[in-house]
Amino acid sequence: MADTPATVIAPTLPLPEATHAASVFTPINFILLSVFAVIVYLRLKPSGPQTLPRAPPPTVFRTFTPPSLFPYNGLNNMPVYLAVRGRIFDVTSGRNFYGPGGPYANFAGRDASRGLACGSFDEDMLTKDLDGPLDTLEDLDSEQREALRGWEERFEEKYLIVGKLVPVGSPEADDTKA
Amino acid sequence: MAGLLEQLDSSISDILAGWNTYTTLIAFSIVGFLGWAIYDNADADTHPLLLARQAQASYVRQSGESAVYRSPETPHGYPLRTGLAVKPAGAPMYSAGKDGDLRDIWLRVTGEIPLEKGASSNGTAKIMTVFGKEGVTEHKIEDVTKEIAVVGKHLQERGAKRVAVYLPNSLEFLGALFAGAFYDFTPILIPYNQPHQTLVELLVQTGADALIAEAGSVPLADVSRGASALRSIIWTVEKTSRHMDWSEVPEGIGGKLDVAVWHELVQEQKNGVATLSSTADKPPGVVFLWQEAVGKAAEIVEFTQQNLTAAVGSLITSLPAVHRLSASDTFLPADAFTHSYSLCLTLAALFSHATVIINSVAGPGVDLTLATRSIAPTVTVISAETAAKLHSTTNTSITGGLQKLAHYLETRMLTAGRMPTDTFLTKLNAPTRATVGTIPGKLRLVFVSERLGLNTPPLSSEDLSDLRIYTKARVVYALTTAKVAGAVAQTNIYDYRRGDMPTNKHSHFGPPLSCLEIKLKDNAHHKTNDEQSAGELVVTGSSVAGGEVHLGVNATIRDDHTLAYV
Repeated sequence: MADTPATVIAPTLPLPEATHAASVFTPINFILLSVFAVIVYLRLKPSGPQTLPRAPPPTVFRTFTPPSLFPYNGLNNMPVYLAVRGRIFDVTSGRNFYGPGGPYANFAGRDASRGLACGSFDEDMLTKDLDGPLDTLEDLDSEQREALRGWEERFEEKYLIVGKLVPVGSPEADDTKA
Repeated sequence: MAGLLEQLDSSISDILAGWNTYTTLIAFSIVGFLGWAIYDNADADTHPLLLARQAQASYVRQSGESAVYRSPETPHGYPLRTGLAVKPAGAPMYSAGKDGDLRDIWLRVTGEIPLEKGASSNGTAKIMTVFGKEGVTEHKIEDVTKEIAVVGKHLQERGAKRVAVYLPNSLEFLGALFAGAFYDFTPILIPYNQPHQTLVELLVQTGADALIAEAGSVPLADVSRGASALRSIIWTVEKTSRHMDWSEVPEGIGGKLDVAVWHELVQEQKNGVATLSSTADKPPGVVFLWQEAVGKAAEIVEFTQQNLTAAVGSLITSLPAVHRLSASDTFLPADAFTHSYSLCLTLAALFSHATVIINSVAGPGVDLTLATRSIAPTVTVISAETAAKLHSTTNTSITGGLQKLAHYLETRMLTAGRMPTDTFLTKLNAPTRATVGTIPGKLRLVFVSERLGLNTPPLSSEDLSDLRIYTKARVVYALTTAKVAGAVAQTNIYDYRRGDMPTNKHSHFGPPLSCLEIKLKDNAHHKTNDEQSAGELVVTGSSVAGGEVHLGVNATIRDDHTLAYV
């Protein structure tokens, strides 16, 4: 600071404010201006509209044959599918029931129609020969058919239909292979 | 340690010693700016994430096509909207309501069918017409009902089954449309101002056996010679030309033609009590023409009553409850009634008991400022041509730096998801506005439509954002096409986002309406895979003529699940 007349007269007194020498370029002004600039930038900085992460891609509807359905049994991180009367439901969200170790684990990756109709979860309800024709279910009585319909309605409410089941060697199965 | 503190202390006091008037000024500016930022801080009009995912995709897709997209109003697993859900007076509160047809819309206009619970009006919808500078005339609904009955009966007695309506936007146009539903004939809505030759061709192509047209707009000789199936004609005559005798047919032409005059028919029945006959069976549909410009070839599409009511119903509910058309609205169709989007919105306004102002100055490219010279609409539907014109004329008038700043500030607010309101700042320095209506600020909603395949001028999201500022109204942009009544998709009323489509001229078109669902079929150039959805647009639903239509245009569903051209 340059000496002022005041300092000459009373050197013990504190310095008066140097109003006549006021300058914009003082350290404090610099600091405050920087703060101002940062605030204005933060406020006015262009912000894009909010976006959501991409939705998971939809599952592609497929035609399965019993052998190609078989791997979808929840083992090796595969989803859990099961077939009811030719329609394939994705029951992965019910993995506790239909996945490995669940009470209905036998149905995973298989045609579960007969088992559901008869209310039995045993192995012998499944069609053994994967390459053979599909179970026609013609021998079921009306009570069993009623039970099967009930299961189907529940599945339609809860699970997605992700494909259809055709026997090995049918023209539709050959189409998907080609 | 103590030395360090002392050093710090002295350096701070050194810095503070530099405090002067400029410092005070800067400090006040900072406080002021922070104060403004807090005052200015408000929530967006809708939750931003609702705009980030606008349509609902099905979880399973067929190979070779995209997932099926639907409006969030009618998600997968629920039925699509099929109509108006009208309930006759005295229907139980929780009954479903029926799809209805045009007759129900008119009965609602007259007040015979009550409004929804919670809505109120003074009994009927209001219809006004405006002629040039002359001012606005209000029409009594009962008089209009009588006109519908008289004209309908007249045509029915002459065995008319397909009645061509060749009129500009007018009360008679709406009258003829409703008469068709009550008196069992199919109105054929022909866009106005065709060259005579084209009109005759269109009459032949559509198989019209009767014609309603303005007296003097069509040479009788040409029509009677060209369209031999035509058996009767009704002229509508302006008030100023009614002293002339229009019903006389000159010798030698149109010998078998039965010529009548609208106002004379109504006059004859002045004292008679004309009531609308309501036959219980299904009324016939309505024929629309999809034409790029007058004089060109037209695609002829017949919509059933179901198509129309589904479109009207879903256009009503596409707006959030607070912004729906209501009795306090004044609705101006500034696009021709022959465009189904404009007509369906007009029917929606009538159905909601709004005041509908009919101006014959309506069609692609009319000047909105001129069309609203003596009225103050709150809601209007305009063509993309009109919107583009409004945008370019207003845009070129912005020259001053202050106006640009004001425009920039409002654009910022829109980008932040809020519709700009009048604040202290806009009073000091308002951005340039377009002159729309006699009372500035009355307009609240503008519907604009892209007409697929008709070379309508594209509107980008920036253009739409500018239009929101110029008109101080929310803008909805719709994709319309020949075979879909109303629209295929229209943007969310709160969607003010801009600038996210660098490659496209057209803005996106929002999610589909609630009466239909859309999917994209693979073709040679565009395929759907796990990364993107693209292909030919396929629309299915109850507002689609024939139930399903392949539109032949390549479209994509973007990450925010809105429909856009590729």
